[in-house]
Amino acid sequence: MGVTCVSQMSVAEGKSVQQTVELLTQKLEMLGAEKQGTFCVDCETYHTAASTLGSQGQAGKLMYVMHNSEYPLSCFALFENGPCLIADTNFDVLMVKLKGFFQSAKASKIETRGTRYQYCDFLVKVGTVTMGPSARGISVEVEYGPCVVASDCWSLLLEFLQNFLGSHTPGAPTVFANRHDAVYSPADTMVQYMELFNKIRKQQQVPVAGIR
Amino acid sequence: MADVLSVGVNLEAFAQAISAIQALRSSVSRVFDCLKDGMRNKETLEGREKAFIAHFQDNLHSVNRDLNELERLSNLVGKPSENHPLHNSGLLSLDPVQDKTPLYSQLLQAYKWSNKLQYHAGLASGLLNQQSLKRSANQMGVSAKRRPKAQPTTLVLPPQYVDDVISRIDRMFPEMSIHLSRPNGTSAMLLVTLGKVLKVIVVMRSLFIDRTIVKGYTENVYTEDGKLDIWSKSNYQVFQKVTDHATTALLHYQLPQMPDVVVRSFMTWLRSYIKLFQAPCQRCGKFLQDGLPPTWRDFRTLEAFHDTCRQ
Ligand SMILES: [Zn+2]
Repeated sequence: MGVTCVSQMSVAEGKSVQQTVELLTQKLEMLGAEKQGTFCVDCETYHTAASTLGSQGQAGKLMYVMHNSEYPLSCFALFENGPCLIADTNFDVLMVKLKGFFQSAKASKIETRGTRYQYCDFLVKVGTVTMGPSARGISVEVEYGPCVVASDCWSLLLEFLQNFLGSHTPGAPTVFANRHDAVYSPADTMVQYMELFNKIRKQQQVPVAGIR
Repeated sequence: MADVLSVGVNLEAFAQAISAIQALRSSVSRVFDCLKDGMRNKETLEGREKAFIAHFQDNLHSVNRDLNELERLSNLVGKPSENHPLHNSGLLSLDPVQDKTPLYSQLLQAYKWSNKLQYHAGLASGLLNQQSLKRSANQMGVSAKRRPKAQPTTLVLPPQYVDDVISRIDRMFPEMSIHLSRPNGTSAMLLVTLGKVLKVIVVMRSLFIDRTIVKGYTENVYTEDGKLDIWSKSNYQVFQKVTDHATTALLHYQLPQMPDVVVRSFMTWLRSYIKLFQAPCQRCGKFLQDGLPPTWRDFRTLEAFHDTCRQ
């Protein structure tokens, strides 16, 4: 598990989501990256059930339950700004039992799917973010496997991102800032995906650009 | 054509000289034929003598003529250039079809290599002589108990001394931790952890480093039965590259008389990888080249370079 940067790629002018994804993957192949299967990250939102809320009408915290095909045996449960729990996939069954406390928000499931590419020690995943039937955006994940401290290799990652994304290069993910020289963990990647999904949810739905 | 030939030797004169030599040889053999046949087939003794002398004279004249001719031609042939460092093989450099048959450059290369080989073989033989084990020779007729202690000093340093040297190095570099173990008898194995960047397995023989393998900080360095895994390589290309360079460094840092200095120099060099992912290349100024960070560290200055950016 190396240091990972997840970012959103805006849809190219006059192109659909699908076309932009194709442009990106073509660029990767031109760089010399090799296709290595597919990936999927999904996220479901739960909110605390009304019965368990305090009488002052305080808003319930949102909890996100996520899966990452890179860790097929794990399930991640996160609060915004809060702790991240890494559990076995059985956790999903537990959530059904906890219906009285956590209720799944309707049609909240959001996921990104796409192809994995390997380039030297970099792992690049370009995915189409979908909510229900519609494509809502593009996610770009770049992982540098050999390094485990985010601040050590951010400049190096940035150089790769600049080569790959040009003017669309993102800034340093916020999780990097809080980590100092701690070892990067898979949970940090999930937090980045959660933030990305939340950002995309808030964005206006792209009018026509569905999957062709 | 004429231009090319005039550089070295006059080929036309050469061909003529060769035929002149042939003519000379045949006229000389005619002389001996005539001497061998002697005097015959004439009625009178005087007639026989006269004919023989005339014949002999003719033959000698033609020898003389052919010899003069050869002498004249040999002046035309010209001399091959003499001051070439590789003597006559230097003429290969005059080959006009250099691109197709780069014989001369290959020859120079081979010459350089053989020189280097000789030099290194000299060093190696010096080292080996100094540490001659002569195991098989000594074992003959000597019981295992009374085996003579004729072993070289640098190979039989007491383990305690090795431990001391290593722990002193360990204290020298705070960001580097060295764990020493002896899973296979007296030879030490080190597991060096450099910051949160990489781990190095170092296989020692006394105070000589036999082998090093560099792996990632989170990569597994143990085999299933809990021993240090000294055979498998890293899954990451960057550490495979660093392993190669570390092996080169082992060959570079050689000082048979002072093995502890060698280990210290090697560890000092290794420590410069603490900035493996943070130091841009000192030549091209970039972090990445073909997906790899600058994996080379200069042996003297410890500056970072890409493998292809170093001299
Ligand atoms: Zn360079």
